[in-house]
Amino acid sequence: MSLETFLALLGWGTLVGVDLVSVPQMMIARPLVAGTVAGAILGDVDAGLKIGVVFELLQYDILPVGAVRYPEYGPATVAAVATAHAATGALGLGLGTVVGLVTGLVGGIAMHLLRRINSRIVHAAAATLEAGDPKALVRLHAGGLLRDGVRAALVTALGLGLAWAVPPHINGVLSPRAVTLLAVAAVASALAAGAGGTIRLVGRGPNLAWFAAGLGGGVVIVAGWLW
Amino acid sequence: MAVVTPAPRPRFGRALLRLFAVQGSYNYERMLGLGVGVAEEPLLRGLPADGATSPYRAAVARGAHFFNAHPYLAGLAVGAAARAEHDGAPAELIERLRAALCGPLGSIGDRLIWAGWLPLLSGLTLAAISLGAGWTAVVVFLVVYNIGHVGLRWWALRQGWTHGVRVASALHHPLLQRGTALAGPAMACAVGLALPLTAHYLASSFGAWPRAILATAAVLGFLAIRWLPGRVTGLRLALGLAAIALVVGWTWL
Repeated sequence: MSLETFLALLGWGTLVGVDLVSVPQMMIARPLVAGTVAGAILGDVDAGLKIGVVFELLQYDILPVGAVRYPEYGPATVAAVATAHAATGALGLGLGTVVGLVTGLVGGIAMHLLRRINSRIVHAAAATLEAGDPKALVRLHAGGLLRDGVRAALVTALGLGLAWAVPPHINGVLSPRAVTLLAVAAVASALAAGAGGTIRLVGRGPNLAWFAAGLGGGVVIVAGWLW
Repeated sequence: MAVVTPAPRPRFGRALLRLFAVQGSYNYERMLGLGVGVAEEPLLRGLPADGATSPYRAAVARGAHFFNAHPYLAGLAVGAAARAEHDGAPAELIERLRAALCGPLGSIGDRLIWAGWLPLLSGLTLAAISLGAGWTAVVVFLVVYNIGHVGLRWWALRQGWTHGVRVASALHHPLLQRGTALAGPAMACAVGLALPLTAHYLASSFGAWPRAILATAAVLGFLAIRWLPGRVTGLRLALGLAAIALVVGWTWL
């Protein structure tokens, strides 16, 4: 990976990381978007789309309500695409997913830590806030934004570091069967998480019939292809 | 004759821009409070601002108190609270208004966006990619999603300002009522359609035996997520299956 490519991915991953919660929440943090653009930066849109689809399905397992803790799959997808691009052949999908999962886990922990740090800073500034000084309020808020930017950059850098360091040690080490099994594990867990998360959203009410109708339609289309 | 100075026009554009960063200082003490206060501040600028205990400063301080709701609908509370401040509503009433809006705005927003609009478009995009649409599907997703996103933020801010302390009536607006009623079934159908198509797309490079393992692992993983909610998450399942795959692949040469 050239320095220019690394910096472009780092910048994109940081934007993606900030978009998830802080600003502007326009869903570039969605793995489909994050992965496709990362793939375009690397000149490998197909890998970006495929990894993006895997992490999009994993994202269905997450419902970001209230202060719930969850893995951060945006910068993780960027790191996963970089790994998939660096790995040779079929290894990309499985290894990319593993690197992305680790990055997503770290990203989730980093978000939780940031919120705790923000809480302490806000608590310490309670008197200033109660005085109604608008400049102090904006300064505190901007500080939170800045910290999230730094957090997102660090998480992305970690993920890209893994993408740079891991593939050379794995390429050629795993047997073809192990490579295939790793890819199968990535896809299977994504499909399971996607289905499980959707069923949780759908519930047992009337929407279940709509889900079944859609599922049936999808099965018919796939069956038509296979026929 | 006394000179009457017209009240300054509310700075909706600036408030809307700041609303895009309403969660920028998200924390466990005031949640979105600071972001709401920052977004509300441009709308408070017409209030008397002389002295350390002016109505303007008191309103800014109130605006930054605890608040939690769906970020796209936070503008409803921002507009309503700012309007109430301009209308001279008592401080206790404004505090109660903000507290009363947290639950409904969170619930409606979560159902409308996180469990409706977003997975609906995501599902359609997954299906389109699986059918060969490629990156153009992702661009369409971004554009269509954000038409709804920005429109909802703008609508919420204007409705809040229009209704003030009577903002509860905006929650019965057909946009929200029909939107939440339609989003659920549409989302369920779209994601249901996307799942088999996506499975076919992702499995297209596998041979016969990997496909059999894939189907078995996916079904078992789904059952584990359903039967052990909280303990088996997508992340844990994926890491666990990857570890099993590596161990089996290592020993089964």
